[in-house]
Amino acid sequence: MDSNEINSNAVRIKGVDDCLWVQLDPGVPADELKAELKKIFSSGGTLAAGANLVLDGGSREESSRLIGELGPFLLAHFPFKSVRASYEQDQATPGDNRRHDMLRSWRHRRSDALVLAGRVRSGQKVEARRHLLLLGDVNPGATVSAGGDIIIMGSLCGTAAAGQPDDTNVIVSALDFRPTNLQIGPVVAVGGLHRNGGRVQFAKVDHGAIVIEDYLKADPFGKLPWPEVR
Amino acid sequence: MLGKVLVITSGKGGVGKTTAAANIGAALAMEGKKVAIVDMDIGLRNLDVVMGLENRIVFNVVDVVKGRCKPQQALIKDRRIDNLFLMPASQSDNKDAISPAGVEEMCRGLRREFDFILMDCPAGIEQGFENAVAGAQEAVVVCTPDVSSIRDADRVIGLLYAKEIPPVLLVNRIVPQMVARGDMLSHEDIIDVLSIKLIGLIPMDDSVVVSTNTGVPLVSQKNSNAGEAFRNVARRLDGQPDLPLEVPGARTTIWKRLGARLGLAN
Repeated sequence: MDSNEINSNAVRIKGVDDCLWVQLDPGVPADELKAELKKIFSSGGTLAAGANLVLDGGSREESSRLIGELGPFLLAHFPFKSVRASYEQDQATPGDNRRHDMLRSWRHRRSDALVLAGRVRSGQKVEARRHLLLLGDVNPGATVSAGGDIIIMGSLCGTAAAGQPDDTNVIVSALDFRPTNLQIGPVVAVGGLHRNGGRVQFAKVDHGAIVIEDYLKADPFGKLPWPEVR
Repeated sequence: MLGKVLVITSGKGGVGKTTAAANIGAALAMEGKKVAIVDMDIGLRNLDVVMGLENRIVFNVVDVVKGRCKPQQALIKDRRIDNLFLMPASQSDNKDAISPAGVEEMCRGLRREFDFILMDCPAGIEQGFENAVAGAQEAVVVCTPDVSSIRDADRVIGLLYAKEIPPVLLVNRIVPQMVARGDMLSHEDIIDVLSIKLIGLIPMDDSVVVSTNTGVPLVSQKNSNAGEAFRNVARRLDGQPDLPLEVPGARTTIWKRLGARLGLAN
């Protein structure tokens, strides 16, 4: 990717194709984002002139909210050619997207995964905005929570809450699957979860209830014809 | 050279912190080190009873931290073991009577006088724990082979790491027969969860009760298995970290030792 990066805590700007791709932290208030954008584009001289701006809030919902809050402000203060949300930019055919992914090897995607290594101990809590990948163990009494999937490359003996608050299309997986409490979206399962027998297992929501299956037998993602961004 | 401050802690109550503090301290003193054991269980002191020094208390740790006396006035010298001193807790105050900053200052002073300062931490993770760990450079986490003790130890280990105090583990009250039957967690099971360095395995021993009641340290009793284990823990803390661990109840016949040397042991 040909890019000239300008970084701040809340705003990151990259050159992608013919656009300026602006990644925004959706947790930062709109006023602070406006101030940060104003500072960057005011100091950038003619950087903004005639540019196509794409606002990326990490998800379709956040991008939609941010375009509503920041789009008119940006067009009013700077000479942009256009300001769009990231999902509007992606309105290409699936074939176009796949060719783009293949050529760029997904480097143009911003990772939403929180990757941690180590042991989460009793009383500790790890929260990820989207997916969580833990290279380590979750001890009894510990809690891991994520807006997306939870993948534990070790023992899961504590509490896991994936898809928070309401996404039921996610999974919880662990090499050693022994959670004391599981939650996927709003669906909760407690007790009777210690039955892995040394196999890698995962939990998903099926017909409104949490079911646990052998990961290799079920192969939940192996049937997808093409690697997809989750 | 400044001495080392070790906190003996566990999270859960009744796992043997005070017994461990008294016996590790006594064993270190018997190895020739100058040792101070500080009872940080303010309001519920009993290290003085376990060490048989309850009749000689004049000042206590609260008096020292608040500047009402010098540390030397509160330290009680053990008459049976040279170089062993106790700083008792107050029985009439509560844990809020002193602050972590005050304890840290006291520890700085004690490090100039002693080779080892053992802080006997109260149960729990509230103010008493904060006070006890304030001046510590290392921690000995005591747990018993039961699930609740392990979970509390795990919580405490997380808190110690957050304070950058490296912990080591002491597993107390192991009943080898129960471990062999599968009725008790083995030390390997415990290490799987807690994942810290093991410093000692103490077997269940009836002489602990006698020792606690009479105030005679286990480590000065030659026929006590637990006393021997505590002596080895003290040696590991005192510059012999690679001293082999004795697993309680493990067979040590000549054939087993020979098999182990030949790599045949399972």
